[in-house]
Amino acid sequence: MRMRLLALPLIVAFAVLILWPLSSVVIDSFDAKGEVSFGNYTEVLSSAYYQQSFITTLWISALTTVIGIVFGILLAIALRARGRGVRRFALAFGSMGANFAGVPLAMAIIILFGMNGFFTILVGKLGLPGAFNVYSIIGLTIAYCYFQIALATLLLTPAFDAVPVEIEEAASLMGVSSARFWARIGVPMLARQIVAIAILLFANAMGTFATTFALTGTSVNVVTVAISSLVSGDIFSDPNLANAISLLLLIVLLVPIIASQIIAGEKRLGKDPSAGPQR
Amino acid sequence: MTLSNGVLSRVFLIAVAAVMALPVVATAIDAFAAEWAHTLLPTGYTTEYFMTVVGDPRFIAAMGRSLTVAAAALAIATVLIVPAIVSAHIYWPALDRWFARLVILPYAVPAIVLVVGYLRVFSNPPLQINGTPLVLVLVYVPVCFPMFYISVKNSLRGLAIDDLLNAGRLVGANDAVILRRVVLPCILPGIMIAVVLNFAILFSEFVYAKMLVGGNFETLQLYMYAQRNLSGRITSVIVLIYFILLLLMTLVSLRLAETERAQR
Repeated sequence: MRMRLLALPLIVAFAVLILWPLSSVVIDSFDAKGEVSFGNYTEVLSSAYYQQSFITTLWISALTTVIGIVFGILLAIALRARGRGVRRFALAFGSMGANFAGVPLAMAIIILFGMNGFFTILVGKLGLPGAFNVYSIIGLTIAYCYFQIALATLLLTPAFDAVPVEIEEAASLMGVSSARFWARIGVPMLARQIVAIAILLFANAMGTFATTFALTGTSVNVVTVAISSLVSGDIFSDPNLANAISLLLLIVLLVPIIASQIIAGEKRLGKDPSAGPQR
Repeated sequence: MTLSNGVLSRVFLIAVAAVMALPVVATAIDAFAAEWAHTLLPTGYTTEYFMTVVGDPRFIAAMGRSLTVAAAALAIATVLIVPAIVSAHIYWPALDRWFARLVILPYAVPAIVLVVGYLRVFSNPPLQINGTPLVLVLVYVPVCFPMFYISVKNSLRGLAIDDLLNAGRLVGANDAVILRRVVLPCILPGIMIAVVLNFAILFSEFVYAKMLVGGNFETLQLYMYAQRNLSGRITSVIVLIYFILLLLMTLVSLRLAETERAQR
């Protein structure tokens, strides 16, 4: 069909801008000092430093995913009963929260929790414990939670809207409390979508670079920062090692994403998330 | 106690909104504080820092670069992506299914992984463009895809495409004319929403700008990054201005979405 040609330029663009660089990453990851081998992989997998960076990243991603999903579910349920105005405001707020990531978020977190931060001074004045070093994994966790909660709310709210009001009312007529209804019926009904959204949140955190780099530089050892150090052209630069780590990161992300897509049976999730992923 | 309409849920919503707003509010206060150290709230206010940033030629130049790159990338993205989505929707369902899968690409393939590939493939002929603004314009095109797909697809679903095409063919118009004269105006609001939301995304983009171009071409995000260790006030002003821009773009996109809903 002639009209299919309209799609051709985009297919070419994707081939050049996605397929080409990705295949270069895959091919070069097997290039260890000019020879085809698994050398880069054995080096990465046997290095305590890179093992630690994967463990740290997996840990912070899993933790902030759980926090994001729990808050997202509670917010989606609370928003369900509110009027359209409140809901629209909340979604706009969430979309901004998801975009307000990266350098500005890192800066805002420092203004709040840094040495001279609002929170740090408040805690000091009240004589409470709770002051912490913001340039650490704790600071990172707080920053990640910010955009994870925003993204979870954006993606979960439409999913929760799909639960018919009738069954909620029926449950309430039978004397089932709202909390019990959601715990026993509502949330299990949406289990598949919630898992799929959780996997997206997890991938979102695993791939985060801007917020991490702007807040903690290279002092917290996460995978994306390790990759950037390897290609940034200083004395530690070893691009082929970066290829191998990138591919390992891709595998960690793609396996659950593809699995959830298959499980969801081509069911499209999040028809209208008005925010992109964190980069 | 009911969770979905009781007091509890109201308090919870307000509490979360307050906590989420806190970084922005603190930044806004800090931006106009004259003296703010060792006290909970500033002891005086001033617009001095705000004026310093707004009058900084480096800031204005960075803003100009960000606007230019985003506008150029969006122009190319719109021309490439919209026809492809429409064509796949009507004539090529198999491709459409692949497009739907590509929506989660930014989650599945982090930008830093693509950076590793771009550093390699765009550092040698035939496309030796690393370090130039052109590379940013190009790599931003796929970044725009998910929002275009979601938004345009939403508009297309609301149209009875087959009826439109059959009616048009009946009066002797060919498909290209029908698409341009009938379908395009119908999906225009969807395209506009995607453009505005993508603008906000490209404006917030840091990874590609930092890793592929760096100091050669300082965008707004790189400017913010470079200023982060200077006076706290200056960085607060920059973050505040950025936040206001983001707010404006979000409001415009909401307005557009409203008009689109009203037209249905």
